[in-house]
Amino acid sequence: MKSECEKWNDQLLEAALTGSTAKDLEEHLKSCVKCSAELDEVRARQARLEELLPFVARGAEPAADFKARVLAAAEVASKGKRAQRWRLWTLAGATAAIVVLVIGAAMYRRTTQTISTISVTEVAAVQKLVEWRAPSDSLLVTPGQEILKGTPKLGQSYLKVPVKTEE
Amino acid sequence: MTGTCVSVLISKAEAPESEARFSECIAENQRRVFQIAYSVLGNSADAEDVAQEAFLRAYQKFASLREAEKFRWWINRIVFRLALNRRRGHGRRLVRDSAWQMTETRAMVDGAKYAEQQVLLDRLRREIERLPEKLRSVLQLSLVEEMEAADVGAVLGVPAGTVRSRMHTARKLLLEVMK
Repeated sequence: MKSECEKWNDQLLEAALTGSTAKDLEEHLKSCVKCSAELDEVRARQARLEELLPFVARGAEPAADFKARVLAAAEVASKGKRAQRWRLWTLAGATAAIVVLVIGAAMYRRTTQTISTISVTEVAAVQKLVEWRAPSDSLLVTPGQEILKGTPKLGQSYLKVPVKTEE
Repeated sequence: MTGTCVSVLISKAEAPESEARFSECIAENQRRVFQIAYSVLGNSADAEDVAQEAFLRAYQKFASLREAEKFRWWINRIVFRLALNRRRGHGRRLVRDSAWQMTETRAMVDGAKYAEQQVLLDRLRREIERLPEKLRSVLQLSLVEEMEAADVGAVLGVPAGTVRSRMHTARKLLLEVMK
């Protein structure tokens, strides 16, 4: 008898949860006192459960000053964030200023160095230029050069050619 | 979400207004947010802590919120995740409110009946803890005020039909074990 009624357990639970009884269960309940009593018991349990379940989530309330505390915490967090952002920007600004200063100083130094270097170099170059002699001059100095200088060019007379005399 | 919060959110033009809007949103959502945390954690102190943390996280991204209607689902998700993380972190050390702690929140009509109810409630909470994760999450969220199947589904990422089906299974299991 016991095992025979056990098969109705699931349907009894469904009946208690949904409030409707299946036809075959209804037929069985007419002839089974045990299952009828069980259904009553399950329904009572279901009622108790429905009464208790809301308290799982609604058993307590947030404190009256909850909103104020959240807003205060948000303000503190916001200020902290602003201060952190400000610190970050200050640090970034200082770093940028230092970089600009370093680059500026380096460029200034290089410029002054270049100016002084150029002036010295230029002076040296000018001096060298003054002393410069075309290499062809030395190449042209040949034993017959003096004779060629004393030779009149085409259409000139020997008489007009100045004679160089060594003193 | 009521019209006030929506209208206030829509008119988010200047930065100083953001705090006023946020304040409105706390007022409208705090009860539900607290209950979500409480249903998972079972004690007021931890629930308040987690609810506050959820609002602070929401506040950090509040200015970027474009659709006002999403705030409700957004904050529900945040607080549920935070509460789950807190429970996992605390494990067995998590203390639930006992009967005397809850006395202040409700009028005590009948002392004996109330005590019996508290014993049953403690037992019910233990049985809920034993439920499979999927069923437990649905049950805990569904028990919160104003949480429809669609709201629960939005938090858990499942359709409303699935929520109803899991809720039915969870109730059936509880009915079987709460003899």
